[in-house]
Amino acid sequence: MTIATKVPVITLNEVSKRFIIRKEKSLKERLVNFGRSRKHKEDFWALDGIDLDIEAGTTVGLIGANGSGKSTLLKVIGGIIQPTRGVVRRRGQLAALLELGAGFHPDLTGRENVFLNGAILGLSQKQIEGYFDSIVAFSEIPDFIDTQVKFYSSGMYVRLAFAIAIHVDPDVLLVDEVLAVGDEPFQKKCLDKIKEFQQEGRTIVLVTHDLTTVQEMCDRTIVLSHGKVIFDGDAVEGVAALRANFATQ
Amino acid sequence: MRSPVTNTVAQERIRRIEKLPFVAAGAPDATLLGGFWGGVRDVITHKSLLDLLIRRELKARYKDSSLGFVWSFIRPLTMLLIYYVAIGQFLGAARSVPQYAVFVYSGLTIWGLYNEIIASSTTSILANAGLIKKVYVPRELFPLASIGSALFNFGIQMIVLLAAIVVTGQFPLSWNLLYALAAIVVVVTYGIALALFLSAWNVYLRDIQYLVEVALLIFFWASPVVYAWTQVQTVAKNHAWIADVYLLNPMTNAILAFQKGMWEAGSKTNVLGLNAAGKPNVIKPVDWPAHLDFRLLVLFVIGLALIYVAQRVFSRLQGNFAQEI
Repeated sequence: MTIATKVPVITLNEVSKRFIIRKEKSLKERLVNFGRSRKHKEDFWALDGIDLDIEAGTTVGLIGANGSGKSTLLKVIGGIIQPTRGVVRRRGQLAALLELGAGFHPDLTGRENVFLNGAILGLSQKQIEGYFDSIVAFSEIPDFIDTQVKFYSSGMYVRLAFAIAIHVDPDVLLVDEVLAVGDEPFQKKCLDKIKEFQQEGRTIVLVTHDLTTVQEMCDRTIVLSHGKVIFDGDAVEGVAALRANFATQ
Repeated sequence: MRSPVTNTVAQERIRRIEKLPFVAAGAPDATLLGGFWGGVRDVITHKSLLDLLIRRELKARYKDSSLGFVWSFIRPLTMLLIYYVAIGQFLGAARSVPQYAVFVYSGLTIWGLYNEIIASSTTSILANAGLIKKVYVPRELFPLASIGSALFNFGIQMIVLLAAIVVTGQFPLSWNLLYALAAIVVVVTYGIALALFLSAWNVYLRDIQYLVEVALLIFFWASPVVYAWTQVQTVAKNHAWIADVYLLNPMTNAILAFQKGMWEAGSKTNVLGLNAAGKPNVIKPVDWPAHLDFRLLVLFVIGLALIYVAQRVFSRLQGNFAQEI
């Protein structure tokens, strides 16, 4: 690889995340089950001692079975979930596209949400004003920009969310399965944009079940299983490793 | 597999990143003192976002109603009317409290601020679940945004209150106004502390929001909002400890200070018609609690300490918000 591989942007050191699932949430349930509380708790390690360096300019695919910890890992990197143990460090501007319409307020219009969402992703009001037309153009929904977001279709949601996220000028872009919602031309547009991002030396961390995309786009694949890294390396081999893992289960 | 990064744009970006220091992802460290200032700094760097969140709360509140913001006037005015008619006239509180309308409305205004801060911030984290699960912003912003929007509504009510005072022809232009200001500061201080604490706790124990509703109802009647401090003193005449306990409530002190500032008639001798014996019904000025200014200062300092504790609790609890919501 080139110079790109020498500069880490994200480092994870012994990162573990334990989830405790309490089955009761109300006071009554807790009082009734007091003392037997252990029975009503389940805990498991969603991430288990992950050591990882992600270098600037690479595109990393996180793959694994459902519940293997991919999305949790992405959220830990994004700072949305605090790890139980270990440290996540990162540098550069980060934008996260996790699930649908991150942070849209359903009662506000598309326009108001662009400003709110832009601010959440770290843009100033002035910058958003400058990018506004370009954001709307990319999303291709100018007719609906003054409509309340709750009337949007899921495709329109994603279009607007994606359009905002790419205008943040991120050094690191976290993407979690969002692209599956748009129609084919828009998916292609997004993939083209991601390719452009790669050319510009941005780092992309991608969670997906679409193994073809992974093989096409990623420099590196990390395969997770039960919160552990079971493979880390070339994309084609990674996909093979995941399939082998599926076969053993 | 795509070709390795070779062009100059990319190399420039990477060279720039190479110089940046690493920062820990998510909330600042949970160390005791540094953590608190880290949290404060985090909020300050996001103050334009806080501003937007406050606007969003205000905008979204009456978004689909045709009267919109008029509703923020209608509710307190209705309450004023109810208390004025039911308690003031029917139950006769107005016979012993001069300028009862101004009295009750100043109490309702300052209590309304407190009530709205607590009630709306308690559910603020849950109400913003969509955001908290998907992006990292300092989570303190959500309860603080609730406080901001409560302050905005309080501002509107203050305008109504001041208008009412001017209409009744007794503008309280005196040093007592500083009491009103101090009262607002104390209310906001306790509001911030409780907002941080309750909003975080409510994520883990959803009963908090209902408990809070009940507690607010109790404290409303345990504070001199619709009845006067003088009436409490009359009841507690032979048992001084009752008044002492009553004054332990920070809100009681804040409300009394606010009334002292805004309700001029309370500090004067008034004659309200004739009493049962046919003599003029003379109402002596309110015997405000001794050292009210000192009490407010002490409460303020305690409030600041509570904010510190609440922020520490909040930052410990917030690590798991995203999965508990």
